[in-house]
Amino acid sequence: MRSGGDNRGRLLLISLIVTSLFLITLDLRGVQVITGLRNGSQSALSPVQSVAATVFRPVGNFFSDVTHLGRTRGEINKLKAANEKLRQALINRKNADAELTQLKSVLDLAGTAKYKVVSAKVISLGSTSSFTQTITIDAGTNDGVRQNMTVITGLGLVGVVKISYPSSALVQLTTDPAFRVGARVAGSQQIGILSGQGTRKAVLQLLDNQTTLKVGDVILARGSQNNRPFVPGVPIGEVTTVDNAAGAVTQTADVKLYVNFAALSVVSVVIGAPKADPRDALVPKAPVPTPVPTVTVYAQPSESPTP
Amino acid sequence: MFARRFLISFPIFSFVYIMQESVVSQFKIFGGGFSLFLIFALLWSALGNPEMGALTGFGAGLMMDLSQTASGPMGQWTLIMILAGFTISYLGYGDDNFRGNPISLVFTVAAGVAITRLIYLILGLFLGSEMGSAWSVIASLFSSAFWSVAVVPLLMPIVTRLHEALFDVKSRI
Repeated sequence: MRSGGDNRGRLLLISLIVTSLFLITLDLRGVQVITGLRNGSQSALSPVQSVAATVFRPVGNFFSDVTHLGRTRGEINKLKAANEKLRQALINRKNADAELTQLKSVLDLAGTAKYKVVSAKVISLGSTSSFTQTITIDAGTNDGVRQNMTVITGLGLVGVVKISYPSSALVQLTTDPAFRVGARVAGSQQIGILSGQGTRKAVLQLLDNQTTLKVGDVILARGSQNNRPFVPGVPIGEVTTVDNAAGAVTQTADVKLYVNFAALSVVSVVIGAPKADPRDALVPKAPVPTPVPTVTVYAQPSESPTP
Repeated sequence: MFARRFLISFPIFSFVYIMQESVVSQFKIFGGGFSLFLIFALLWSALGNPEMGALTGFGAGLMMDLSQTASGPMGQWTLIMILAGFTISYLGYGDDNFRGNPISLVFTVAAGVAITRLIYLILGLFLGSEMGSAWSVIASLFSSAFWSVAVVPLLMPIVTRLHEALFDVKSRI
């Protein structure tokens, strides 16, 4: 190991450190050149990312499927068991027609809320080194996507557009530790703040200490002024555990997010929302199985019995 | 001399950067995966002298700061990579036992990746970034070290040959 650096090396090291500190200062003071540099690099990279997404995404999905094989199998078994229970219950029910009518009334999420959306493909899954949870989509300012717009899938809230470039946009996911959204409990209308935790589980903190949460409560986005960054009524997740710690000022709860962030491929950016708040209209309906018709056969004696 | 070496390294780093941003980012790997660019930069620094390591860290850090997914201010990665590049090259400079042993290089780079990310996180906290749950941070750091141990042996022959070809220094292992 070397005993020490020479003066030239020290001078170089100090110069480089000072330069980096200078850059940090400039950026924190909001100098536009720095922002322009990042925008420029992203504009140059997004076509390459689009091509790479087309070529390598199937390979990436394969690896993702392989790593989730055990979990998928467990989920299939659980679903099979649930399906059997549902099938049994369904056979015993006499009002299957009424349930069929309900099944037909299930509408698409965006269609129900009358959101004006732009669909986009996910072209990059974000950084692996910066502790952030982001995705890049292939729609940008050219498609009407602007900063602070809500991003959804059919299951619910994905995140919010953090930066918009001409042909791509960076979306901060709901799982990002820096993500915060005003939330509302469907039904009881209690309000709180939901924050990302870096995993598929988020934490909800209620604002009112007089109200209570219970497991299974559905959490929706409360909406922002002029619908930016969040449109109201988008499903976020479901309460899984409630923290009733004595001495806590307000109640907190763990919320399992509806969206599977590991399998995002197409998302929609809400570029226009209706004036009316959809309230609880987007709360996901409980799954209803398809009824299985039963056939009853009556045995009839034949007219000419055989000897 | 430094400027010439710095400039001839630039196209290689640009290529690895594009690979990281467009190809590696397509894979959702267990534990958050790995940063090819970070591993490459630390491995490249480990093969040079401390001054070259610091300069390599500076260039690599600037590129990492330009990434749209960098959560901190411009210069945060630059600062950390200068120190990481300098330190990792300082550790092995003039020590043939270190340079000549691929296993020590693999584990040094893997530890370097985890420590660099940890310092980035700590500095980010000072600058106002969010950390997330402690469990996700610990899992992410361990998995990045694990993936680095897996990736460095694959990258090492290429990096050492490139380094040797460009700088005419016998650093091949």
